[in-house]
Amino acid sequence: MISGGMNHISLWKGMSGTSMPNWDDVLKEQERWDIVAYIKTFSGLDKPAKGPIDYKNQIKSSKESIEKGKETFKKMCAECHGEEGRGDGTKKLKDDLGFRTWPRNLTKPWTFRVDNDPKEIYTRISNGIPGTQMPSFADPTSKKTLSDEERWNVANYIVSIADDVKRPKDDTVLKAIRVEGELPDKVDDPKWSVAESTSFYMIPQIIAKERFFTPSLDSITAKAFYNGKEISILLEWDDRTKSIPGDEKAKEIAEGDVLEDSVAIQLPVTIPEEMEKPYFGMGDSVRPVNIWQWKSGKKDASEAIKLLNANGFQKVEQRDAGKTGLRATGIYNNGTWRVVMKRQLATEEKGKDIQFEEGRYTPISFAAWDGSNGESGSRHVMTTWSWLLLKPATPKSTYIIPLIVVVVVFGGELLLARSSRKKI
Amino acid sequence: MKIPRLLLFVIIVVISYGIFKAPGILLNQPIPSSLIVMYMFFAVVTTLLWITSTEKGMQGLVGPIKTMIEDPSKKTLRNIVFVIVPLVAGGITYMQLKPSYEAPVELRSIHPAPPSTVKVFGKTFNLATLVNPYRKFEKEDPAKFAQFVKEGGEVYFKNCFYCHGDKLDGKGHYAHGFNPLPLAFTDIGTIAQLQESFVFWRISTGGPGLPKEAAPWVSAMPVWENFITEDEKKRERQYTTRNAGGAMVRMGRETVLQPNF
Ligand code: HEC
Ligand code: HEC
Repeated sequence: MISGGMNHISLWKGMSGTSMPNWDDVLKEQERWDIVAYIKTFSGLDKPAKGPIDYKNQIKSSKESIEKGKETFKKMCAECHGEEGRGDGTKKLKDDLGFRTWPRNLTKPWTFRVDNDPKEIYTRISNGIPGTQMPSFADPTSKKTLSDEERWNVANYIVSIADDVKRPKDDTVLKAIRVEGELPDKVDDPKWSVAESTSFYMIPQIIAKERFFTPSLDSITAKAFYNGKEISILLEWDDRTKSIPGDEKAKEIAEGDVLEDSVAIQLPVTIPEEMEKPYFGMGDSVRPVNIWQWKSGKKDASEAIKLLNANGFQKVEQRDAGKTGLRATGIYNNGTWRVVMKRQLATEEKGKDIQFEEGRYTPISFAAWDGSNGESGSRHVMTTWSWLLLKPATPKSTYIIPLIVVVVVFGGELLLARSSRKKI
Repeated sequence: MKIPRLLLFVIIVVISYGIFKAPGILLNQPIPSSLIVMYMFFAVVTTLLWITSTEKGMQGLVGPIKTMIEDPSKKTLRNIVFVIVPLVAGGITYMQLKPSYEAPVELRSIHPAPPSTVKVFGKTFNLATLVNPYRKFEKEDPAKFAQFVKEGGEVYFKNCFYCHGDKLDGKGHYAHGFNPLPLAFTDIGTIAQLQESFVFWRISTGGPGLPKEAAPWVSAMPVWENFITEDEKKRERQYTTRNAGGAMVRMGRETVLQPNF
């Protein structure tokens, strides 16, 4: 059921989300087709199971098509891809070689094998993805088939659920916005909608022992507010499983034992004057870091926040989070964790806790653990240093001075016109 | 046909601006905006000096402006210009004053001077005199050399390709998550140009082994000295130097187009 086209594209562009490299600059066009032909002969896939994909009946995206596609999705796809497409299905999947696989999070098209052009998606739905559990929905011998029309509608629906906010961009400054009054301390506070989102790639910890090579999480999105007293940071990341140790449902889908889900923020204890920061991997002997780690809780234990001070991963001190006013709470919904962490800007132990300052670029980094994917301790995903900025209110002069310039220039013009009229 | 001086002035200023902006738009390596302002200032002043250096040039530049202000038949044009100019001036001022919240620029040295000695694998190596002990086999015993390179290649594909890429181009599967990016070994001018003792030092001590000017706190390059197992420790010097040597040779000389080393 493999189409030559698919293999050819894979050889050409590489497959993001896999370690398949991009051979575009190495193999010539003819060589690529030769390899496609070669692979097919030994995999027994060379039988012409189906004609080439035909896009002539493409249905243009519309509200109606998306609505229909959504219904089909809930019926046919949600068991694997989750109610809202974030890959948080209820079915445990293994690929042809027996390795655990997680269905694609369809709201993140930048992680797709090719891209989310409706034709590409239509091709995946029609052909399936050989070697994985993504089935073909155009195979007449299968029980689960979709009509041509249904496949186009579903493709349009999938294009429509792309969540570009979660795509990491070039800007790596998390800007905390200044507000007056209380800061939100719940994840569903409507105030969050006016904060600025910044997203970061998370990569597995492959730098120090014990390394970790099979991540299931790939990015994190953060927002922040502050006022004269406190800072509140909202972390949002897609996780296919809510991992509650002791919970039966969590056990069914998990790979191995269920451990707690977790997320952490790392900050330097002292905001560096120049560029000299602590080592991004839990600080170093001279420059300690604060780590705020939230854990999702077990069946018989509630969520909790831990405060750690580290001078490298071998020198970690557990501190009393409550004493510094650090709090955190999280909610899991349809494949996404949202966790709010809140602390006072200044604390009593100035030498041990970061003291936030308005307008100072402050290094910040993140880590997350998917407890259903065997992640704990050094087995996790992470970012390296980015920036947190408590964005100061824009000074009024920023608006007033340009107005003065407008008036002065215009005045100058009038003078010029008058003096020339006099001359005549 | 002679280009009117005023038009010429405008053309030169616009082209200069385009040139200063081009590196940012085309190569994604923008010139800082404060520098652009300075360059533009010089461009404008130089062009003005050049055009007004002759009486005729002066006339050509000022004439049309004068006519526009004085000639009653150009009244509409004048009113339009009189509105646009102050607005543009105000706009430029605002763009200059508007605070920017971009990440601070941090310059780091990519190939810093190595220390004179490095203590790894329980032994002190003098980097000035250290040579790759396996390089000599390249001529003496090519078959043995090929074997070392192959071992190095295996080390590479077990440990390094996640970041430095299957094709040694720095575009590993996880490369996008790091800043600075993992270095490419394929460009002429990188690995091939470096002393093998330098590369040995970099591999052994990774990011944390870098000196201050190379910003050791942000480099994700692992400390490979830490990755020798107990068993290997016994054969320590032998094994690791040879493997690192192999990986180095592979990075330096062979390319992925010769997958059989
Ligand atoms: C039996 C489980 C299962 C079902 C049912 C299923 N999928 Fe998938 N799907 C997967 C898996 C697993 C992958 C990831 C395969 C891989 O590793 O590339 C996937 C990948 C995809 C991709 C690939 C995105 C890309 O290019 O990387 C698309 C699109 C997709 N599915 C759409 C659908 C649609 C639409 C439906 C319903 C009509 C559906 N899937 C039903 C398991 C499933
Ligand atoms: C976690 C990602 C990662 C892994 C894995 C990794 N590197 Fe690196 N490496 C980097 C980064 C990032 C840099 C650039 C920053 C720096 O110079 O430290 C780098 C730089 C280097 C340099 C310096 C090159 C130069 O031109 O100065 C060498 C040599 C090197 N790596 C070799 C290796 C070898 C050999 C391995 C495997 C044994 C390896 N790296 C594995 C991330 C990695």
